[in-house]
Amino acid sequence: MSEVPEKLEIKQKFPLWNKWLKPVTEKDYKSGFYSYMALPKQVDSEFFKMPFGDVVREPLEKDWKLPENWKNIILNEMKDTLEKNRAFKVFMDICVRCGACADKCHYYIGTGDPKNMPVMRAETVRSVYRYYFTPFGKIFGKWAGARPLTEEVIKEWYYYMFQCSLCRRCSLFCPYGIDTAEIVWWTRRLLSRIGINQRFMCISIEASSRTGNHLGLYAGGMAGAIQQGLEELKDITGFELHTYINKKGADVLFVAPSADYFATPHWYVMLGYLLLFNELEERYGITITWSTYASEGGNFGTFHSYEAAQLLNSKIYKEAERLGVKFIIGGECGHMWRDKHQFINTMNNLPKNEEWRKFWDDPDLGQISGGLKGIRLDDFISGEHGWIHILEFVAALIKHKKIDIDKSRNDHWKATYHDPCNVARGMGMLEEPRYVLRNVMNHFYEMPEHTIREKTYCCGAGGGMLADELMELRMRGVMPRMMALRYVVKKYGVNIMLTPCAIDKAQFPAAVEYWKIPVEIGGPMEMVGNALVLTALGEKPEDRKYDLRGTPIREEE
Amino acid sequence: MSEILYIFYILPYIAFAIFIAGVIYRIINWAKSAVPLKVPTTAGQQPSFKFIRRTWVDKIDSPSNKFWAFVRMLFEVFLFRSLFRNTKYYVEKGGKNADTRWLWLFAMLFHYSLLIIVIRHLRFFTNPTPKFVSMIEYLDGLVGVAIVPPLLMTGVLALVALAFLWGRRIFLAKERSISLPSDHLILFFMAVILVSGLLLRYVVKVDLSYVKMFALSIITFHPPSPEVLNNLHWLFLIHFTFVCITIAYLPFSKVMHFAGVWFSPTRNMPNDNRMRRHVNPWDPNPEVPILARVGIVVDGQVFKSKKLDWNTYYEMYKDQLDEIAENNYVLKPEL
Repeated sequence: MSEVPEKLEIKQKFPLWNKWLKPVTEKDYKSGFYSYMALPKQVDSEFFKMPFGDVVREPLEKDWKLPENWKNIILNEMKDTLEKNRAFKVFMDICVRCGACADKCHYYIGTGDPKNMPVMRAETVRSVYRYYFTPFGKIFGKWAGARPLTEEVIKEWYYYMFQCSLCRRCSLFCPYGIDTAEIVWWTRRLLSRIGINQRFMCISIEASSRTGNHLGLYAGGMAGAIQQGLEELKDITGFELHTYINKKGADVLFVAPSADYFATPHWYVMLGYLLLFNELEERYGITITWSTYASEGGNFGTFHSYEAAQLLNSKIYKEAERLGVKFIIGGECGHMWRDKHQFINTMNNLPKNEEWRKFWDDPDLGQISGGLKGIRLDDFISGEHGWIHILEFVAALIKHKKIDIDKSRNDHWKATYHDPCNVARGMGMLEEPRYVLRNVMNHFYEMPEHTIREKTYCCGAGGGMLADELMELRMRGVMPRMMALRYVVKKYGVNIMLTPCAIDKAQFPAAVEYWKIPVEIGGPMEMVGNALVLTALGEKPEDRKYDLRGTPIREEE
Repeated sequence: MSEILYIFYILPYIAFAIFIAGVIYRIINWAKSAVPLKVPTTAGQQPSFKFIRRTWVDKIDSPSNKFWAFVRMLFEVFLFRSLFRNTKYYVEKGGKNADTRWLWLFAMLFHYSLLIIVIRHLRFFTNPTPKFVSMIEYLDGLVGVAIVPPLLMTGVLALVALAFLWGRRIFLAKERSISLPSDHLILFFMAVILVSGLLLRYVVKVDLSYVKMFALSIITFHPPSPEVLNNLHWLFLIHFTFVCITIAYLPFSKVMHFAGVWFSPTRNMPNDNRMRRHVNPWDPNPEVPILARVGIVVDGQVFKSKKLDWNTYYEMYKDQLDEIAENNYVLKPEL
């Protein structure tokens, strides 16, 4: 892990166009800002084989051991990308460099590096596009802002394409909707064609392609982790709870990001899921199963390339079909919901099992249990897709008064809510989590308006940027969010920031420690778990003495 | 001598031919490119359960179907919706965000002034001048009636806005840094056109009857008489030439954003991913993921990943999976 200096200085530089056309190379790489490159065991694996992945590459070395033909490969692939993705092509052409995106990027705000402005990040690619694919670029070269493709340019791409978290905040402010995430995502794909891959994301992609989840957990390990959760819940609630795994004939498949099985504070969210599932089964007979095969909701492939994303998310519909479920509930994760909302049903064929089809003919939960009649999933999702977010689900349960809630159990928490970028800008789920939080707790406060909802700031670690070697970049990138958090901590005494995103939950604990903000991090389902009264199991509101973290709910009298 | 002046008669045809051909080429070129994924930037609450409130802003910014996506496009194109969000981040003030919608304001002023100026110019190309053109010119001059000819507001506003938009590229460090020569070039063209136009109207007070005859000759494909050409003011010819150059230059320039924005997938697609499946034209039937189906073909070499289907997975982790099956797929706390 790279050390982050105690004091960060933001040095803004503004080079003129003829200066910045000169690429940043490995000599200029700064520790804490560049990623390690993938090793053969990650990208030359049986289950995840990338072109020319059989070579060990070292970013700081001069020779990147590119394949002999690398230039042709990139240019051919670039031509192919222009034909395969209209977004990439249009975004190459229509930028007017108005600068509206520049200070919207948390990495630019935090680093001051001019090439971290979304417009400049894209210009590093556009300049090459102009040189080879536009008449003016071919004729006027540098004066048209064009430059030839050289190994130095590849190095610059590697540096800056992997300093973007694909959060799409810039695309919100761009008058033409230019989405840097599209440019970065597809340029990373270009780089992967000549053997250049980032190590952090490829470790997880490879693990997921081989074992089903990013952590590389085997079936037994995952089952053991969930089992441990049940044991912990026994201590907290006194009830002997259970859950299903790989169960054929269950009503619903539940898919969570694999971090929920182990990491903290993800763990408390996991306990929240288990409490909810038990109450629902006892009360309404709805059975929800986990799967060791489709054990990963997240999809680091969405940071790498279309093909890698598809490789990872292809398992889930297949598993839904094999188990014969009616629909899928997804857990708390950010980029997972970009994948599950925008990608998965394009990248895969839908499950073909009878139960699925029949349920979506008339998607009323009354089909599963008479007690749940009236909750209709086609209010916003139809049989085409079959995914529902756990918080959407809980919001509906609360609205229809299908579960009992004791808000006062969360009175020791004063919460604020961080919108994960992809949930906000790639899905639009803004109100549902707030609806849930307002209904399960009494103290809920919003951060300043320009940092929440669709304008939410990235945690600085999404899109593959959670790597340890990028720690300084991460601590700088999270700065705008930390400033907003500090504001509500000071103003309202907020003591927990809730976020339904696994990467956030990994990044923020480190970030609040670095930025010295006395606040805990958690997920909304933890609060639901605290407040949920297990009426069906015979629990009374006052029975619960401890919250899911094991701290006493009420002060001793 | 006057034969050479016929260049100015030919020029607009060349310019327009390049413009039309160029724009059509660009549009077809964009349209030909595939749309693999439905990737709207959702800038508001998604369509959801009925009890989740959605305002009309949410309906526009997070459109639930093609109709609302179209409304979103109209807001984007005609009201610069996204630019209307513009803010500036102040690091030194602990992350305070300041409203910087002046960029939106001046962009609106500039574009709409130009539009009205172009409409006003129709009076040169039509005989008799249509009512709405005279009407717009009349309204445009209402504030500036004190001088002769009446001062048209749009001309002044366009110039002010242009000075502003160019000024920020020259005087603000960040904007100076991101500006390419082509960004200045197009502003230079606009400046020449605007200034020469204003001079023609208010200072030189050029004889418009010849200008109109010339304009009509272009529009009716009847070459003008040498008399008309000889009586065109040199400043007018500069004005006119720069207009032609600009028109011919547009298809190759960033100004194509006026057409490209309609193709922007983050704006023109509805946020109905979970309701209606989007089919990727180059991967329409993804029964098996590409990497396991055909792999990646680079430079004649094939890089194919092994498919992890359930059977493969089961074979790999048989013992552990069988143990789960033995427990009847139920997990309970161990005592």
